[in-house]
Amino acid sequence: MKRFLLAFLAAFVFIFFWGWLYNGVLLKDIYVQTSSLWRPQSETMSLFHWIILGQAILVFAFVMIYASGFAGGGIAAGIRLGIMVEILAIGARLMMYAVQPLPGKLVLYWSVGGLIEMIVTGAIVGAIYKPRVSRTP
Amino acid sequence: MNPKKLFLAFLAAFVFIFVFGFLWYGNLMHGIHNEVPALWRTEADFGSHFPWLILGHAVMAFFLTMIYVRFVPAGGVASGVGLGIMVALLFIGSNLITFAVQPLTTKILGGWMVGNLLEFAIAGAIVGAIYKPSTTATV
Repeated sequence: MKRFLLAFLAAFVFIFFWGWLYNGVLLKDIYVQTSSLWRPQSETMSLFHWIILGQAILVFAFVMIYASGFAGGGIAAGIRLGIMVEILAIGARLMMYAVQPLPGKLVLYWSVGGLIEMIVTGAIVGAIYKPRVSRTP
Repeated sequence: MNPKKLFLAFLAAFVFIFVFGFLWYGNLMHGIHNEVPALWRTEADFGSHFPWLILGHAVMAFFLTMIYVRFVPAGGVASGVGLGIMVALLFIGSNLITFAVQPLTTKILGGWMVGNLLEFAIAGAIVGAIYKPSTTATV
């Protein structure tokens, strides 16, 4: 439980700062060019708690999946899970691209950023979370 | 890994996700989506981007199946539902973030969240019911 919480916290902190750096700073210009698709900044700030909650749920689910089926494999297993989860998300992103007038380059940048994000998240979770070892008499 | 069962599970999950998406997001939520028309492509534009929708469904179904194979090598419907719910939570987290940055209504957010939960729990159950690992004979 302690390891689970530590892995969750470390991954959450990383995802929060990565999201801010990647979306809030690096991709800022693309968001400005497609402003009709986004809330005004002041409105997003008033809904900021949903971003925190969303990231927390996302990280919790990731650590749960890792702890339930991948634990014991360490960093490599965490990275493998991160890659699979991100490709799953890329599938969903392609569907969004089909229905929303998003520029293709934004979908590409999201996917590259998402891959980096999930690989690092997987490595963090894999490095911190260790399954309980059962002692044999 | 059992490639034949993996392919069958992927195919069944793909068909289910595609039909569910059409019914839930395309039909049931059609009116709700139209409350914010600026967010969606026009009918003609959507038609020309349709292959991306198919590809997205296929990628999602395939990687859901792949995660399942790695996650619960022994198989089973209950494990599939469990994994499906956890995968749905990943998407629900993402839905909440999208809600904060895009002018979605709370009805759209609610519809997406319930849709994700149903979609992945059932898709997980389908994969769990179909996929069985290869049995290795012991001497």
